[in-house]
Amino acid sequence: MSVASSTTSSGGRLTAGPAWAFGLLAATFGFAYHLWFIFTKTPEAQAAAGGFAQKIFYFHVPAAYALYLSGVVCFVASCLYLVRPTNARDAWGKAGAETAVVFGLMVLTSGPLWAKKAWGVYWTWDPRLTTLLLSVLLYVAMVLLRRFTGDGNAERRFAAAFGVLGTTILPIIHYSVRLWGGNHPTVVTKGGGGLGSPAMSQALGMGFFTMTALAVVLLLLRARLALSDSRLREAEELAYGLGVLGADDEAP
Amino acid sequence: MNQDAAPPLPTALSVSDRKSEFVPVSGGQETTSAVGLLLTAYVLMWAVVFGFVWLTAGKQKRLDARLRHVEKALARLDETSSEP
Repeated sequence: MSVASSTTSSGGRLTAGPAWAFGLLAATFGFAYHLWFIFTKTPEAQAAAGGFAQKIFYFHVPAAYALYLSGVVCFVASCLYLVRPTNARDAWGKAGAETAVVFGLMVLTSGPLWAKKAWGVYWTWDPRLTTLLLSVLLYVAMVLLRRFTGDGNAERRFAAAFGVLGTTILPIIHYSVRLWGGNHPTVVTKGGGGLGSPAMSQALGMGFFTMTALAVVLLLLRARLALSDSRLREAEELAYGLGVLGADDEAP
Repeated sequence: MNQDAAPPLPTALSVSDRKSEFVPVSGGQETTSAVGLLLTAYVLMWAVVFGFVWLTAGKQKRLDARLRHVEKALARLDETSSEP
């Protein structure tokens, strides 16, 4: 086996494929149609739900769902990594955590703006809000850990443990309203009154579809990046070890 | 019965009512603040996504360039070591 090819043996490659193309197309056209539908077909909700500002709901809830989805990817990949470490499993765990942070930020920016209209305050220490914040902070901790503590096996395993821990909180977020009450709406879950118009349900359904597509695209992008990073580290290690690269060949 | 008692206050939705159902209304008043909040929320959400994609694409480009450079250097070593 040649020296050059040996660097790709354990790193793996993630190239653009059908899932990537489908996700990108679905996200682009889906969001355009979704936005048009929200503002032309969906009726305004009652004032107590925020009135016009309630239209934030059609992105806010799907973003929260995409956070769960990314968290599940992080959880599964982290568990698998802890059982048998590979670069691919580490990459998907890392990608899941990073994507969860992005969707968490979407939820945490849109929610308070809607709450200001519906509740009169940007933030309240409601059980669901608090558990969501805690979960996002755990994913942020995992991302920062990977960013600033190197890429050794111990760091990877520690981050994987964080990934498992972060996702165990997700069911608590989901059931916190039922368990502890609070201000947060339970419109589409058990006990809620539902959405008063079919167009509202359709807009929410579209939101779930397009946010799934966006999650797939972001997860693929970040997993590909993490795999490239692993391959580069291996190649650099080999190249410096063989004296192929000099001191003037600095890493970017 | 006290005839001077204050009239009952207009009923408002309780916390449990307002959190359990969204009811569409027609002809509701749009306030500037609601539009402002909605636009701010949408802009911030999409700024997060586009910023993330932009940063990812930039980093991927840098990594790919560096990887090509390193793999070329390793390939040159392969060529020189295979020469008789």
